[in-house]
Amino acid sequence: MQYGENIRLALKGLTDHKFRSFLTMLGIIFGVASVITMLSIGEGAKREAIAKYQDLGVNNIIIREKSLSDNELEEVRARFSQGLSLQDAGVIREIVPGVEKIASQAEKNTDVKYNDKSVKSTVIGITPDFLGMMNYAVQQGYFINEKHDNERLKVCVLGAGIAATFFKGEEPVGQMVKIDDQWLEVIGVLESKSLFTETVGELAARDLNTDVYVPLSLFLNRFTPENILTSQIQQITVQIDNADKLLEASKIIDEILKRHHFHNDDYSIVIPFELLKQEEKERQIYNILLGAIAAISLLVGGIGIMNIMLATVMERTREIGIRRAVGARKVDIMSQFVTESVAISITGGIIGVFVGVLLSLTVTLFTDITTFIKPYSVFIAFSFSVIVGVSFGYLPAKNAANLKPVDSIRHE
Amino acid sequence: MLIEIKELKKNYSLGSSEIPVIHGINLNIAKNEYVAIMGPSGSGKSTLMNILGCLDTASSGHYYLNKVDVSTLDDDALSVMRNREIGFIFQNFNLLPRLNAIQNVELPLIYAGTHAHERRERALQALEKVALTDRIDHKPNELSGGQRQRVAIARALVTNPGILLADEPTGALDSKTGIEIMRLFDELHREGNTIILITHEQEIANYAHRNIYLKDGLIHSDQPNRQKSKLS
Repeated sequence: MQYGENIRLALKGLTDHKFRSFLTMLGIIFGVASVITMLSIGEGAKREAIAKYQDLGVNNIIIREKSLSDNELEEVRARFSQGLSLQDAGVIREIVPGVEKIASQAEKNTDVKYNDKSVKSTVIGITPDFLGMMNYAVQQGYFINEKHDNERLKVCVLGAGIAATFFKGEEPVGQMVKIDDQWLEVIGVLESKSLFTETVGELAARDLNTDVYVPLSLFLNRFTPENILTSQIQQITVQIDNADKLLEASKIIDEILKRHHFHNDDYSIVIPFELLKQEEKERQIYNILLGAIAAISLLVGGIGIMNIMLATVMERTREIGIRRAVGARKVDIMSQFVTESVAISITGGIIGVFVGVLLSLTVTLFTDITTFIKPYSVFIAFSFSVIVGVSFGYLPAKNAANLKPVDSIRHE
Repeated sequence: MLIEIKELKKNYSLGSSEIPVIHGINLNIAKNEYVAIMGPSGSGKSTLMNILGCLDTASSGHYYLNKVDVSTLDDDALSVMRNREIGFIFQNFNLLPRLNAIQNVELPLIYAGTHAHERRERALQALEKVALTDRIDHKPNELSGGQRQRVAIARALVTNPGILLADEPTGALDSKTGIEIMRLFDELHREGNTIILITHEQEIANYAHRNIYLKDGLIHSDQPNRQKSKLS
């Protein structure tokens, strides 16, 4: 018997009992849809995490001053630690193997003014290497370079948010802004960064777009520290030439700083790449759980198909008898019923893919969960539905094929 | 001989005991014979029909159909045998309700692997033989009893089988329609078909040329139909 006949027969079976077919399909539809949605949520979370850590630089080690209260700070100073300093940075560059670039940064929270506008901002004194180490890009003008730093030029680079607030429609580059009592010339504007919504180690969540960058030399020379106990710099970013050496390098850095800070615990070391790996490991368990839930719903869908197919075989005993009497072999009956259950599961699978895609989009639209549908996840969900159709259609089809023609033809 | 049956026995197992239904039958039927097999209920005529139609196999003995020993065939080979050699006609028609007349007639050809175009052509020819070409798109429930039985006969004819095996073909029809169907059988017989009728009605058996009476699983009598002989 030709396979085309089976397919035609199966589709006829589906359309003859539209409502029943639809109900049977529901299980598969929800199963496939949930597999796709779950996978898209998992993938979305992964991409978000990667983007987040990419901003911090996957080959970087970030050494950051701990935020201490004034009392704690006093205590630390009393035990001889001066906090993070350019000296620390110099020693790290000299001793730690594999250091490619190193950037020190000093920070101060203060108001930045332009004409009558004022914005609360973090002013960051930075060395020129910084731009290349982080996943930052300049949108207009250019970034602070060696010349600016060497000559302590009074220039600054604005975050996209602050630039937008100050210069609506105006050209920002070349304008003068005032920070504390200093007038600085705007030489560039950074591209907009996604909000840093999560605290990573000592890196507190904040809006990166209101940052203002100035040459570190200028910062140290012209801006008064918040108080007398404030450390020289707040952060050292170290770029290592090989991601495999990150842990080793961070251990060496820790040893160096321990000695220089007289074993005061006033700094912390963040390795974005290690955090990413760790987070991925945690998420894996979560993803397996989501996948398992989705798989169970597909399984339940499959059981639904089996249930209906078993009932259908009972109901169609006479038909099977007639087909056998006019020459259908067992394998013909078998393939007829398997084709029918596969037709149900494939149709359900196709609808399920659409529902799943729609559901993922809805999740993104109405919640702050990012979703991303990988083509392979659609493929996986769809193939699963076919496998379910074959495996759960097998038993009913076998029952049908094993009916004795002599009995089934007289079945009332 | 088209059909040769030697020492055929059939038992049914009921729990641990075996109930013999056919005790040992010897029977030959030649090509183009028109035979009626009769007998009271429980005589084994239905069992014999199932075995003749390759729906069931004997417990012992041999059944040669076109020189093939059917008793040695496996399930697949039996299916092929039914497809090629047997045209079933049932009391309750046994048409598939969701298919229309021509699709019902095409059914055996689907399992024979005939291509769609040829299938339709041959189904049309078969429907022509039963004078039903104007009803090919009708579903069984849109046809009268007599028309349904004609569709069933067309389905039996479509593969050009060795035997037409009719089980009480007029049992579900009124007497007038029954006579029409029996006339159709006469015609098919004249065209060269071999027909085996299973019936308990003498009136119907009278249409056949040879009457076999079964009783308690044995052939009680086997004689030419004198009435019919007179007619022809």
